[in-house]
Amino acid sequence: MSTVSSKAGVSNAERNARLKQLMAKVAEDRDKLAFEQLFDHFAPLLRSYSLAREPGAALLADELAQEVMIKVWNKAHTYKPDMAAVSTWIFTLARNSRIDYLRRNGRFSTEIDPTEIFNNMEDEGPDPFQLAQQQRVESKIHEGLKQLPIEQAQVLAKVYLEGKSHQETSDELGLPLGTVKSRVRLALQKLELLLKR
Amino acid sequence: MANHHPAPELLAAFSAGSLQLSHALCISTHLEHCDECRSNLMRLNSMGANLMEELKPAKASENLKSSVLSMLDDEVTEATPVINRDSRVPRALQQFIPDDYDSLQWHRVSPSIQAARLCTDSNGSKVEMLRIKPGGQVPSHTHTGDEYTMLLEGSFSDESGVYKEGDFVVRDGRHKHKPMVTEDRECICLTVTDAPIEFTGFFTRWLNPILRRDHFAH
Repeated sequence: MSTVSSKAGVSNAERNARLKQLMAKVAEDRDKLAFEQLFDHFAPLLRSYSLAREPGAALLADELAQEVMIKVWNKAHTYKPDMAAVSTWIFTLARNSRIDYLRRNGRFSTEIDPTEIFNNMEDEGPDPFQLAQQQRVESKIHEGLKQLPIEQAQVLAKVYLEGKSHQETSDELGLPLGTVKSRVRLALQKLELLLKR
Repeated sequence: MANHHPAPELLAAFSAGSLQLSHALCISTHLEHCDECRSNLMRLNSMGANLMEELKPAKASENLKSSVLSMLDDEVTEATPVINRDSRVPRALQQFIPDDYDSLQWHRVSPSIQAARLCTDSNGSKVEMLRIKPGGQVPSHTHTGDEYTMLLEGSFSDESGVYKEGDFVVRDGRHKHKPMVTEDRECICLTVTDAPIEFTGFFTRWLNPILRRDHFAH
């Protein structure tokens, strides 16, 4: 069985296309072998994502990977291939699982149900023009991230992978709050990520 | 179309899932109004995915794999929340306002302002709706923490500009402001206040102890 993980010579675009094919097989044919390949690619990344926030918590990492992969199987029909890469969709599932965990853990409010807060945007995409741009942006992000200055990459990793607030990032890195915010902003500018206003 | 948007780093924190849920709630209602920020959110999500993919993979055990595979045929029972797409209430707020703004328990703050508490966040932030009569004025105040406001209906202006439906505004301790609602219609806002606001006007300063008590009462 061929794998989708990043072998030398396989470009990012090729890998994304391959992952989309696998998702289509899972959604339309309920193909378990295709699902296994998605599992082999994503489960280790999902475990790393969980470990980034809670280092050493292997059981928690397994739990998150399991929860997200089951959602991938059950919600495969809701994935819209023309809106986002498979990895983008799976990242949002992982983020939502983490939020649920933080609510169970008392870190986040249980009075506020996050379901509609984070779900409602995914149903309603931007217009086709913006979608075409999205494709271009996705390929640029991949290269751009590698060239970010280390101090900007470090702040992005705190916020995105460790799930730290700006204040926590500021405390942990010993930086003023304003510096944390401006580093995120500078990174986004450098990646030319956001629409110009 | 909205003219005032969440700052890029704030939208990034939303995308990362690292914001307090009360703040995320406020941003989510803006996203429902704003195509541009929704596009930006998709880009930010795909940046998040790229960051995740660059992590060193942490091998999954065969046990984990077989346990997941054995669950694929389980029946799925998931309660999907009932969402009314025709309602004027943003979808993210329908968990607190299932019918309409009119059915909330409004209490009078001043002759022109009514407020209704929705919930309190785990960090003590207070989430509430404000309803201000046409031409109504909010007494001059500063904030001891951040105040996020999302304008759902109507418009208001303060020293920094005019705000309309769909606009998102953050005010912090550096700002002293005195918002005034336009004459043509009432204004409905969602606000999230991290700490009680402080009134600075000579005649309204007496309100401060009352507001502080009110903020911490819940």
